[in-house]
Amino acid sequence: MKNGFRGMVVALGVVAMMAAGCAKEEVVKKDEPVVQQQTVKQQEPVKQVEPVQQEVKQEVKQEEAAAVKASVAVALENVYFDFDKSDLRQDARDALSKNAEALLKQVADAKVKIAGHCDERGSDEYNLALGDRRAKSVAKYLETLGVKADRITTISFGKEKPAVDGHDEAAWSKNRRAEFEIIK
Amino acid sequence: MKIFVRILFCWMLLMTVAQDSFAASYIEVTAAGNRLLKLAVVPPQPMGSAIKTEMANETAGIQSFDLTMSGLVSAERKDAAVLANGLALTPIDFVPWLSAGYDLLIRGEYELRGQELTIEFRLYDVVAKKLLTAKRFLGTEKELRRYAHSFSDEVLRILTGEKGCFTSKILYVSNQSGNKELFLMDWDGFNPQQLTRNRSINLSPDISPDGREIIFTSYKRGNPDLYKRAVSSPVEVPVSSRKGLNITGAWSPDGTRIALALSKDGNTEVYTIARDGSAPNRLTVSNSANVSPAWTPDAKRIVFVSDRYGKPQLFIMDANGGNLQRFGAGGGYTVNPSWSPKGDKLAFARSAGGFQIFVANADGSNETQLTFEGNNERPRWSPDGRFIVFSSKRGGQEAIYVMRADGSGQTKVSRNKGLSQHPVWAPRAQ
Repeated sequence: MKNGFRGMVVALGVVAMMAAGCAKEEVVKKDEPVVQQQTVKQQEPVKQVEPVQQEVKQEVKQEEAAAVKASVAVALENVYFDFDKSDLRQDARDALSKNAEALLKQVADAKVKIAGHCDERGSDEYNLALGDRRAKSVAKYLETLGVKADRITTISFGKEKPAVDGHDEAAWSKNRRAEFEIIK
Repeated sequence: MKIFVRILFCWMLLMTVAQDSFAASYIEVTAAGNRLLKLAVVPPQPMGSAIKTEMANETAGIQSFDLTMSGLVSAERKDAAVLANGLALTPIDFVPWLSAGYDLLIRGEYELRGQELTIEFRLYDVVAKKLLTAKRFLGTEKELRRYAHSFSDEVLRILTGEKGCFTSKILYVSNQSGNKELFLMDWDGFNPQQLTRNRSINLSPDISPDGREIIFTSYKRGNPDLYKRAVSSPVEVPVSSRKGLNITGAWSPDGTRIALALSKDGNTEVYTIARDGSAPNRLTVSNSANVSPAWTPDAKRIVFVSDRYGKPQLFIMDANGGNLQRFGAGGGYTVNPSWSPKGDKLAFARSAGGFQIFVANADGSNETQLTFEGNNERPRWSPDGRFIVFSSKRGGQEAIYVMRADGSGQTKVSRNKGLSQHPVWAPRAQ
């Protein structure tokens, strides 16, 4: 069972990455009319992930089917922020409601790590504090939705790990985010 | 070799003669009006059979750069014929320099025997036709740049009464290796040396007042924790691994405590801890972010960045957290405070068409903008207060620049690949 659980975690990670990619596309479609180039770009990493995912799937097939089911369900969406803000927009609240549901029903035993990120503007050290605030603001909201505090950890990367390169609002809006990682 | 011994003897004679001039104020060579003193740096001449013109030119280039950057003189390398009378300049030898408008002259000799280098530099007052100072170095060619800088330090001592800091180093962060690691380089960007190799993200270093220990934030074990290491040893010891952020560590002026920002209690707040990380003392209480503490040189007060009124601004408090006030009149997004060594000025970065470096008086008055081009951050003072080092993106990739404290002479010094940021000017070697 121990091995089976480990296989599931790997599958969770991969599927979560794919789901995160999809989620990004959705956000782009809503916010920006100029999407086509971006969509193409974002499909590239997904292609790279695919063979890995298939390998994992084969492994997973040998495990319980339940593991696959759980991995599909636990697609936690990134949430995005306004410039220099850590309060949650409506789209972030909607995403967090889905994330909370997944955390409560699909992976009720798992812990989740929330990483707060910022865009490249502003100073490094102040952005570390801002990322910390974003992660904590997400954590608090998940708690109000019923996710127990002891399942949640937070970390801030400030502007050290941008999701997208670029020096315009299109890039910045995708970099001001909180990401989720299921751990153990 | 015989010649060299004779020369040394002459030099000792000259030194005795020159002793008197050391005591005198240098005001006698101050140029008329406000023009800069003109200094000719002649590459040292070879003594003996081993001739390395490039090496000699390198030392002259170093000293010209150092001393021109000092803002006290306008220095340039000038080639000159070997003197007929060996080393000693007779009064007649000064005439061409005088008529070419020079006030000061550096000459010297070197001798290479295998790996062994002997090099001597002398500074002359061209107008008074006398030797002002001389220094001789014995070692290897590897140390050449340090010897040349060391004589620049001495020239500044003669000109101002205070030794220069051209032998001191700059600590900074570079991603040359693919990850943000700590590096140390000469003040002019030469001899970059990679200190950390943990392949994580390493940020915001600060160096202890004795120049021996470095604190920095690293993600090497996942969380952004504060670590300490010696300059000379790669062992990285965790100092503060509290939950959340352990960032922007700053050594107290006596090296016994560290001020830093921690988010363990919710908000990011300023604390002090002992040098081993124990005895935390919380200094700020707010519902905002508080980072980047900087001690005044007398250790009595701490300036820091807080966004309690909206955008990040500078605040100042007593070192125990009392007597909190806003620093200066406020303005745009303001970060990166750094005290001058005497505590009479504060440098900081403010958003003003990209981040720009400003300097203000210690009471917050007389804010002066020093940079205008590109994005400029993280000002830190040289140990003598003559220069400010900072990072700039004006050339595209972020790099380390040095300028005089009045903003003049802005020059890129870092030479490594990748970005370079978070510079800290290390104290003079002790």
